[in-house]
Amino acid sequence: MKASAETTALQAEDGQLIAGNPTFHTVSESISRIVEVKTTKAWYVLFGFFSSIALIFVAMIGYLFWEGVGIWGLQIPVAWGWAIVNFVFWVGIGHAGTLISAILFLLRQPWRTSINRFAEAMTIFAVICAGTFPGIHVGRVWVAYYMFPLPNQMSMWPNFRSPLLWDVFAVGTYFTVSLLFWYTGLIPDLATLRDRAKSKIRKAIYGAFALGWRGSHRNWQHYELAYLLLAGLATPLVLSVHSVVSFDFAVSNLPGWHTTIFPPYFVAGAIFSGFAMVMTLALIARKVYNVENFITMRHLENMNKIILVTSLMVGYAYSIELFVAWYSGNPFERFAFWNRATGPYAWAYWTMVTCNVIVPQVFWSRRMRRSIPVMFVVSILVNVGMWFERFVIVVSSLANDFLPSSWHYFKPTIFDVGMLIGSFGLFFTLFLLFLRFLPMIAMAEVKAVLPQANPHYYEPHGNGKEASVKAGSHA
Amino acid sequence: MKTKFNRDTFRITEAGNIGKFALIAGVAGLAISAAGYLTDSKQFFYSYLTAFTFWATIGLGGLFFTMLHHLTSATWSVVLRRMTETVMATLPMLIILFLPVVLGMHDLYHWTHKDVVEHDAVLKSKEAYLNMPFFFIRTALYFVVWFLLSRTLYNSSLQEDQASSPELTMKMKRVSAPGMVLFGLTLTFASFDWLMSLDPHWYSTIYGVYVFSGTVLAILSFIILLAQYLRKQEILEDVVTVEHYHDLGKLLFAFTVFWAYIAFSQFMLIWYANIPEETLFFDHRWHGSWKAVSMIILFGHFVVPFVVLLTRAAKRNLLILKVMSVWLLVMHWVDIYWLVMPNLHKEGAVVTWMDITTMIGVGGLFIWLFWNRFVSQPIVPVKDPKFAASVQFENI
Repeated sequence: MKASAETTALQAEDGQLIAGNPTFHTVSESISRIVEVKTTKAWYVLFGFFSSIALIFVAMIGYLFWEGVGIWGLQIPVAWGWAIVNFVFWVGIGHAGTLISAILFLLRQPWRTSINRFAEAMTIFAVICAGTFPGIHVGRVWVAYYMFPLPNQMSMWPNFRSPLLWDVFAVGTYFTVSLLFWYTGLIPDLATLRDRAKSKIRKAIYGAFALGWRGSHRNWQHYELAYLLLAGLATPLVLSVHSVVSFDFAVSNLPGWHTTIFPPYFVAGAIFSGFAMVMTLALIARKVYNVENFITMRHLENMNKIILVTSLMVGYAYSIELFVAWYSGNPFERFAFWNRATGPYAWAYWTMVTCNVIVPQVFWSRRMRRSIPVMFVVSILVNVGMWFERFVIVVSSLANDFLPSSWHYFKPTIFDVGMLIGSFGLFFTLFLLFLRFLPMIAMAEVKAVLPQANPHYYEPHGNGKEASVKAGSHA
Repeated sequence: MKTKFNRDTFRITEAGNIGKFALIAGVAGLAISAAGYLTDSKQFFYSYLTAFTFWATIGLGGLFFTMLHHLTSATWSVVLRRMTETVMATLPMLIILFLPVVLGMHDLYHWTHKDVVEHDAVLKSKEAYLNMPFFFIRTALYFVVWFLLSRTLYNSSLQEDQASSPELTMKMKRVSAPGMVLFGLTLTFASFDWLMSLDPHWYSTIYGVYVFSGTVLAILSFIILLAQYLRKQEILEDVVTVEHYHDLGKLLFAFTVFWAYIAFSQFMLIWYANIPEETLFFDHRWHGSWKAVSMIILFGHFVVPFVVLLTRAAKRNLLILKVMSVWLLVMHWVDIYWLVMPNLHKEGAVVTWMDITTMIGVGGLFIWLFWNRFVSQPIVPVKDPKFAASVQFENI
């Protein structure tokens, strides 16, 4: 019995990536149809709901500009509060999209094709949400352009030694490259939508964005080259963006912020939370849009494995931080971490540890990795935990700093909470628009991993190379 | 005597003189180094620790590569698996070679002196961790973990040579998953214990990751050189093809960048925060001729391999790969030397003959152990279900 279970496990790993044995045509059909049918009522209801929340966000930002950052729960020494927590949280979410589209591509993981499109869309929307927060945090927003090194007659320049400025460049580059990467991948699919379009206006719009794609041999050759180069360029960005974000904290002298493991630790956490978000979205989308044959249990299980690996990396970072704080022999370091685990924010710290380190351990079990309710709950808990991780880092380190007389307990205001919820409204509004107007799964790429895409598929048997040329076996 | 190879069983039938030469070099190297112990025991122990760490990281890299291979169900690296497995299987033997470090505890580790600790509040506060009995328990524990992991994985792999079965494939995966967690923890704490505690006041949370990044580069370089040596003897020349070298080259390039990323993170954060108890580490390494060594590492460990390995053509050129592997192994040694030696020679870098003889001594014995085991079994996992696919693998 045991042997047969293991055989199935191994076969599942080697089997087809796409279930239901589709043809090229049925792939186009089932993905394109999603954006071609009449908009459903449910979509309007959801869109109305989330865009209303996004509007609350906009209104609150307006009030913030009128009144100033005092409407948040900020007080010295906690001069950085939820706005920064939300910024780091959203930037982190984006990282899974880039990892899937760039690193998994370079590592020849063909299973990524089913999930990369909407993961990349998620990246772009998450970065938009993230970028909002530092923008509105600057106090005098009308001079927010000072963040950019614009030549001016006053010879005023941003401080190039400040990681906050590096953030502007890092996130700006990240957004640009992610957008280009996403758009490049979309071109063949946009052309498919153009060719299927029934109305003139639809044909014109998709046609304009498809940039005259004809699917010729030369088109594909250029496309593949551009895609590979963009993957190579995006790969260092997976690491650099969140490393720069971590520098915002780690270059300081504050215990709890200044520790050398921050860059890789933040990157691991970012990928962790990003995959959890991809999981949440994928589980809903595959059910609602009936694409369970494209996002199969194998994809979900692979994502759960990555969630487990990154959870362990994050757990490693927590442990090493804690150990070295003790090992340093420095009373301030020791206090910062002791205070985190037992002080006024202990509830947040243990929420973080439970959600990020303890809960994902269920994925050691294959049954749990393949249970949809379990992975849905875990994916949400992971994002709760990762939000709290940033909260613990930002707030608990600041609230109990070097002067005990100024210590106080940080309390968020309605505007802190409203803007966090509002940012989710913005995120889901954008995501719903994406689902409505663009193909949520990369059709052209999925076709390339079907068995019949292999040039030797129709050849007579017996050339001895079948085992190696079977689609998906180049792992 | 030339090495002879049976192409049907994938066994090396006549092993040549490598084992013998390595053993002689190893024993001679250690014997000459022992003379150094009599003249300058402190120098001897520091040189020995550098050499020991260098070879231990190669062994650890073998363990990492093997487990990563199982966990990712990789196809391309099947043809390299027995090589990394044999490197891994050599690792536990290093416990015997660790004995000189035990003997040199007092010369190496400042915190072992009771009288010093009594008058040092910082060391006093970490005495619960930095004390001799606990140090020995931990080191023994690392070797036990490495022994159990490598033995289980290596034996399962040999068992697979008799008859392949899904259970065996799954078993190796199952061992590798918790094995990877244990690997991460043992490597980190071993690097804290053996290297970071040389300067017991100083600490850096990224230190384990830093040592890990060098470890991966070391095993990749070692495998490239080993495969090319075999190729020169016309062994596996049609099994380990340019496609496999290309992939090894990609990983070599990727980990060169990863190493630089970790090294930069550590340096930049400490430099920027400018807290004296942390900057001391880099201050020592910026002093006198140490500055030159630091620059050699910056350019030699990152800039040169980055530029050379950037193009596709370079990764598919066996000569370039060979030169870069030797280069990176030298740089890996310089890197460990740079971690260890400034604790002894504070005024400037000093390379003594003991640095060379200990490297030959430990290395000779390492190669001897490795080679004897390597030639006693088929040198590829012949019955691996993905073996044929691995041989035919192509980068497209």
